[in-house]
Amino acid sequence: MTALATALPRAPARRRTELGLIVLAVLLVGGLYAIAGLSKAGSLPANIVPFLIGFFAMLLVAHLAMRYLAPNADPILLPTAGLLNGVGYTFIARLSSSEASKQAAWTALGLVAFIVTLAVVRRARDLERYRYLFAFVGIGMLLLPLVPHIGLNINGARLWVHLGPFSFQPGELAKLALAVFFASVMVERADLLSHATRRIGRFLVLDPRYLAPIIAAWGLSLLIFLAENDLGSSFLFFALFIGMLWISTGRTYYLGLGVGLFAAGAFFALRVIHHAQSRVQSWLDPWAHPYSTGFQIIQGQFAIADGSVFGTGPGQSNASHIPYASSDFIFAVVANELGLVGAAALLMGYLLMVGTGLRIALRCERPFEKLLAAGLALILGVQTFVIVGGVTRLIPLTGITLPFVSYGGSSLIANYILLAVLLRISNDTETPMILRESALIDMPSGELREVQA
Amino acid sequence: MSSGVITLFKYVFLAVLYLFFLRVLRAVWVELREPKVAPVAAPSATPSAPTQAPRKRRGKGEPTHLRITEPAARRDQTFDLTDELTVGRAPGCGVPLPEDTFTSQLHARVFRRDGDVWVEDLGSTNGTLLNEKKVSAPAVMRRGDRLQVGRTVLELSS
Repeated sequence: MTALATALPRAPARRRTELGLIVLAVLLVGGLYAIAGLSKAGSLPANIVPFLIGFFAMLLVAHLAMRYLAPNADPILLPTAGLLNGVGYTFIARLSSSEASKQAAWTALGLVAFIVTLAVVRRARDLERYRYLFAFVGIGMLLLPLVPHIGLNINGARLWVHLGPFSFQPGELAKLALAVFFASVMVERADLLSHATRRIGRFLVLDPRYLAPIIAAWGLSLLIFLAENDLGSSFLFFALFIGMLWISTGRTYYLGLGVGLFAAGAFFALRVIHHAQSRVQSWLDPWAHPYSTGFQIIQGQFAIADGSVFGTGPGQSNASHIPYASSDFIFAVVANELGLVGAAALLMGYLLMVGTGLRIALRCERPFEKLLAAGLALILGVQTFVIVGGVTRLIPLTGITLPFVSYGGSSLIANYILLAVLLRISNDTETPMILRESALIDMPSGELREVQA
Repeated sequence: MSSGVITLFKYVFLAVLYLFFLRVLRAVWVELREPKVAPVAAPSATPSAPTQAPRKRRGKGEPTHLRITEPAARRDQTFDLTDELTVGRAPGCGVPLPEDTFTSQLHARVFRRDGDVWVEDLGSTNGTLLNEKKVSAPAVMRRGDRLQVGRTVLELSS
């Protein structure tokens, strides 16, 4: 490993740490894959060597790209994401071999998207200039599944788009686009949003004018989500909105407002949307219909309980009959095979990634990037909470992917892009000014006007 | 292969999994313990004083001149600091920049007051940037600070 490290170009300490962690992550994934094969079929999986080489090569290419494009960025995000991705793959490989080969392709595409994002977004603050473009793209992507012919209904939720042989969920990418939009608008108006300026009767209240574009974007996308029957994303989106509003203004009343609005929304959803009713019923009492609506949750709970503290062992899972074991319910399968200890490790990975995202936000000096980093960390955290909480029956279950682990191409690509933006912000913050000459020369000349002599 | 061996493998795997996170935590811990000097606020701090006080004055570190770092054609050309140094396209300026068409005739001035070096924008068309921040009111400059005027970048050095 040291030979490898010295053979590579200029490497700040952070990149060396990253390379070491990547090697360890690949060894872990290889070990897990091998143990699972040994215990299930009595022999090593046939494709273990090409798989490991391919997996290591992909992460290595991403790592090399980081050396050139973001040499001072945080060292733990990429290896942790790689580990989660690899662990997820080994589970998917046993649950469905056809999904596994697709997942491998999606991982490669995800890492390409990661590198392209790092290469295209040379300064995170440039994103701020395209805020309305991001708003339109975000809302457009949310609307895309509703378009007849290309939109697709799967399991009562209309969030798929079908183009030729590909189907993807544009909503995954929409979250990122809207996070950029929120960050830029909220930063600009942080003061207006945190001080009451309008007098109504005896009370000073916030001027609704300044909130209007945000509320409009939020309401519209929430409406779209509800029209597509995707409650998980709808909640994720709402939490992102309120969280970012709270972070940008530092006003706790936005959290109160959020709880109030959420309660009202939940009440409405329970009254009107049948989908939501059945979700809540099978959460409160899955045993009412153990073979229909409650089946998935009950089997998930069995799998988790069966895993006990140390798990049944890799490859020993009998949880493949759970519906959506490779996507929504993959956490139950992990808990089954690796037990409380393994599942806790998985959650620790998310905790570290979210914590790192927030640390990047804290260290960042420019308000837009600060808020964007916090928003991206929030997306990762809330999404994990929603699905793990749903599987463990802490909250009603809503179908949403477990970032990096679940089977699902759109989610994987979106999460790798999210990671790239976080790392870009981290790199910009940690690079000393003196090394940032290019940032100064690159100042677009469009902003400067020729001076008439 | 016996199930005992496989169970052993499982524990080894879980142990190494935690080792991974331990190493991740260590990487985080190392960074938290050595907080770097905020790079933009105080670029190129004196090597001997990593935690420089905001207004530390030392004979040795006293800024004495402005040095051009961009464009490359005029790199390392220096201008000694006087009580007042004007920057602009006009030939009479202390730092004349006749070829930079993005600077104003009288763009900014750099002056000494109470032992500090200050910069003030003189109503230029494109503004003056100190460490990438717009100079809207006279601002104190420290050693290593980068002043951008049009497309020219100057560094305060000693």
